Order: sequence, then C-alpha cells, then structure tokens
Amino acid sequence: MYGCLHSPRPLPSTGVLLDVAREFTPRVEGLGATVLLDLHGLGRVWESPAVLGQGLLDAGQGRGLDLQAALAWTRMAALLAARGLAGLTLVPPGREGEVLAPLPLELLGLPPERQELFRRWGLQSLGDLAALPAVGLAERLGPEGARLRRMARGEDEQPLVATPRPESFECTLELEWPVDGLEPLSFLLARVLEPLCAGLRARGRRAAALALDLVLVDRRSYRRVLEPAAPSADPRTWRTLLLLDLEAHPPDEAIAKVTVRAEATPARVVQFSLLDPAQPSPERLAETLARLHEWTAAGRAGAPALVDTHRPGAFVMSSFSPGAPASVRAAAAPRVALRVFRPPLPAHVALRDGEPAFVSAAGIRGAVAERAGPWRASGDWWDVAWSREEWDVSLGPAGSYRIFRDRIKDAWFVEGEMD
Amino acid sequence: MSAPALKAALEDLLRSRRLQEDAPPLRGEDRRLRPLPTGVPAVDALLGGGLPRGELSEVHGPRSSGRTGLALSFAAACVARGSLAAWVDPADRLAPASAAATGMDLSRLLWLRGETRGPRARALPAAVAAVATLIGSGLFEAVVLDVAAFAPHDLGRLPGPTWIRLQRMIADSPGALLLLSESHVARGPRGASLELRSGGPRWSGAPGPGRVLRGLGAEVSAGRHGARRTAFELPAFV
Repeated sequence: MYGCLHSPRPLPSTGVLLDVAREFTPRVEGLGATVLLDLHGLGRVWESPAVLGQGLLDAGQGRGLDLQAALAWTRMAALLAARGLAGLTLVPPGREGEVLAPLPLELLGLPPERQELFRRWGLQSLGDLAALPAVGLAERLGPEGARLRRMARGEDEQPLVATPRPESFECTLELEWPVDGLEPLSFLLARVLEPLCAGLRARGRRAAALALDLVLVDRRSYRRVLEPAAPSADPRTWRTLLLLDLEAHPPDEAIAKVTVRAEATPARVVQFSLLDPAQPSPERLAETLARLHEWTAAGRAGAPALVDTHRPGAFVMSSFSPGAPASVRAAAAPRVALRVFRPPLPAHVALRDGEPAFVSAAGIRGAVAERAGPWRASGDWWDVAWSREEWDVSLGPAGSYRIFRDRIKDAWFVEGEMD
Repeated sequence: MSAPALKAALEDLLRSRRLQEDAPPLRGEDRRLRPLPTGVPAVDALLGGGLPRGELSEVHGPRSSGRTGLALSFAAACVARGSLAAWVDPADRLAPASAAATGMDLSRLLWLRGETRGPRARALPAAVAAVATLIGSGLFEAVVLDVAAFAPHDLGRLPGPTWIRLQRMIADSPGALLLLSESHVARGPRGASLELRSGGPRWSGAPGPGRVLRGLGAEVSAGRHGARRTAFELPAFV
C-alpha cells in the first residue's frame, strides 16, 4: 500500500514533510509539497488503513501542518487523491478510477498547450480522460496520450524512487569522566574519527573540512574548524591535524564530550602516469602544511603568484595545492635573481651629473663603478600612486644593486641586490 | 605473457632505451646514482651531472656572485621535471618575479617567508625546523634554505648538531637540501660545496642612455681546496 501526504499551503521548508513521512517509513519520495510513502508491511503495526491515515494527519498536525492524506494500492492514485481531496481519503483496491474520476485534470500537471487541447476536446475531469479509448489517444498524442490515460486511471508508471536522507557525517563521544591534556584526547579522537572516516570512504567521499566540537566540564562549548589544503578520509591524518591545531589552541578546561562533523566532498580521482614522477599524496601534503602551522597561519607559506600589474615587486601568496605537472614543460633557464629588501632600504645617493655616484644604506656603502638607467615607471594614479626612477648600479666588490628614487617622496631606496 | 612479466619487460625497454631523460627511477634502479641537475650546464659538468640526492649541499659566495640565481635555477630544474620544490626564506629576500623568470611553474614552489619584524635570532631555528618538516615529508625533490642574509655568528647560535641532523634526515630522501649562504656552513659527506666568486656585472654597451645590465659573471669552484673550477654567466631577467 502507498500513502501520500500533501500540503495545500506553502511549507516552511521542503524537509519538514519528509521528516513527518520518515516517522512512518524510511522509503519516502519527496515531490515538492507532496511526499509519497511506501507503506508495505505496516499492516501488522497499524490495525487498519484508516487508523494509519489518521496517524499520518496527526503527525502533520503535531508539527503545525494542515495536510491532506490518501492511502491507495497504487502510488498514482494516492498522489492524485491526496492532491485533489481534503482530509483523509482511502482508495479501495480496484476502485482507483472511480475515486479519481471527479478530480480536475489540472492535478496531472499538464503543460498549458496540452491543457488547452483537452479543454477544446471538452475534457474536464480525470474521469473524462480515463473514459477515452487508449488506441485513439495513442494515435493522436503518441505514447504520451496512453501514459496520461493510465495516470488518470490511477495506474502506476514507475516504482517509487526513495529520496535519500541528507548525508550527515558526525560522530559523538560522551566521556564517563572528563579528560585533560592532548595525550588522552588523542585516543578518543581516534575512536570518533575511525567510524567517521569509514563512513566517508564507504560513500566515496572525503572530508574537505572537519569541525571539532568539545563540551567542557563547565558546560561551555569549544569549537575548532580545520580546512586543510586537500580533502582526506584518513583518520590518522585528521587526528594529527586536530592534535596539532589543539596544541596551538588548547581548550582551557577539561573535556566532557567530543563531537566531530565532516563536510563531505567527492573523492578526488588521481590518474598516474608511468613516465612522470610520483605526485604527492593529498593527505601527506595536507599533513605537512598543517605541521607548518606556524608559517601557514600567518600567511607566510604558500605558492607565490605574480599579479597583473606594472607595480614593481607585486605578488600574492596563494595556498599551496600543486596540481598535475604540465604535460609540456619548459626547460629551466638560469637568470640573475634579485634579492629584495622588504621594505626597500632607505639610502643616501650622491649624484654627479644627474647620475648616482655614491650609494650609502644600511649594510651597503660604496662608490658607483658602473651604472645603467634611469628607467622611469609610474602607475596606479587612481589608487595609491607610485612613480620611480630605477638604476642598476655596480659598487665594485660591494656588489650590484637595483636602486630607485621615489619621485613622489623624492627619496632614494635600495630595492635589492643582484645575485 | 603475464602482467608482471609484461611490466618488467616494458621497464627493461624503457631503461635500455632511455626514452625519457628525466623519467622517474624504475624498479631496481638506485635513484641516488642519478644526480639532480642545477640547470646551469657548466656547473652540472663540474659536478658530474648535478647535486647528489640524499645529501646536504651548499652554495656560498659573496654578494652578487650568482648564488641565488644558481639556487633558483636548481629549484626550477626540479620543478620542470614535474617535482616539487620548497624555498625556506627566513630573511624574506626571494623575489617571485626572479623565480618566474627562470620559467618555473610557481604553483609547484612552496615558499616559506620568515617574519622580518621580530627578533632575527628566532627566525633561524624556526626555518631549520621547517626544513626538517619538509624533508621528513618526502614530498620535495629540492629544498633550499637561504641563510645568506645571516651573519656567521647568527648561524653559530644554532645547536651544534643541527646540520648533522638535517643531513641524516635527507639521507633517506630522494631529494637534495641546498644551503644558500655567504660563507661555508656545512655539507654532507658526499654533498657538493660550491664556492662562487663574482665575475662582475656584464653591461650591454658603453655608459650612456640605453645601456642595460646584461647579466652577472660568476666563477665557481668545487672539490677539495676548490680544485675544480669553471665559470658561467647568468643573464639578467629584465
């Protein structure tokens, strides 16, 4: 037997109707404001269909929902009866067409052009459509015509497709006595992380983020959320990451309850190549970056990325998540490197004929032996403007440097050392 | 032919034909016998192919001797083979534009920038700890520790066995640790110690307008008492 619950009024959320239905059976199919229930096997629990139907309505009432319910031996009959008839409707077996006959055609959810066609044919109700000959309908409307006629008679087209429960990856451990310190917590974390990660792996998922909720002995809650560079379903990796994080941010009281929640993401498929170097395991990479927490937390670790601007020295630090290496790789070309000073070193520069002749800055001092320049550049006048005059200078044995005059501040700086 | 036999036959073929110069080591092949090229042909010839794997090597020299250019070239050569490189920079001196100029895929370079505002004494131990973590992960083929901005007395404050411990850690790794410094600091038992001297800047022409820095000349010596020597030139990146 199938049941159907329909809410004629807008629902506060789509999940609330599914929750009502799942109180009776796990096999439910959500269809917006309607939910279908597979009630097979419940006859031994409920004394009659009428009592079961009333139970469905009462459950809705308990959640503040004014519902319409129908019970039938076909899911289509239950669906149409619940949508079209108020209160509780029981459709006896074999009399689906008779019960559905007075209901309006709109319940089939027809497209407007089809509805207009049926109106011109003089069809008003499901009974009118069900009474038409199947062959004639199929000749005029194709397979769609025969399908609509079967629906109007309350015959099923397809089996119930159960709506899966929303995935929740969560594991809680209530402790008999509070624990203090990381060492005992390490064992407890293993106990909650292993089933959690097993559940993730069973569904082909990985955890992109993990929230650790601790209830402390004074009933305060303490929450840490970790989002490593790569998703993982390895309990050892997560345990290490959590312990490293708690080492840096320990709770100030003993722990009475531990809850971990994972934010699941589909597992990443990595395709390896026979001729390429082995690529890093995402789990190991995440663990390594977590161990460098002191650097990553302050944004001082990552992959540098150049910025599309002429402003000298502009770059951003992005998170280090190397993908597969490029199939066509450019050969490395050795170049002179600039060892920059951050911020640039203020310098005193003596000029001769408008050219630098002597440079003096912290740790750098010497007469300019050779020079090239000036190279003038400016930009960002609409924002924080910069304008400079660059020189490459050699101070003999004291090294070669890039110096510049800030034309806005009218001051000299050493940008870096050529090396 | 069974699958394992077919795989073994294919690997024998790859090994004998050397279908790809920089292919990963095959089964039964000792990867430590294959050094890591620095990307500078003259230096690779001097070292017999490149820096040894599983060893602590060093590049040291005065300012503008090309030591940073050589170390960047080494990291770029590793990245070009599809591996990962790490640059531990406690003094925060690396210019990403210089790294990009070598043709390196910057997304495969992990850069650890030191905090320059705090006391300098804390920067070095933190950098050494980070190097140990990077080596221990086994993910990076090239790890460069740039201590060229630190004076010898700063380096002398590190615990005595620091470099021995790092050498022991890298010994089990297929990668190499390169120390970039102003003067000799340490090297592993089979590691290279490259001493650079400045060959002076190269300019594009006579003094005057339009003249640009063409590159830096460098002389490099290796081996006991600098017995083997060569010279190379690093082109300027802009």
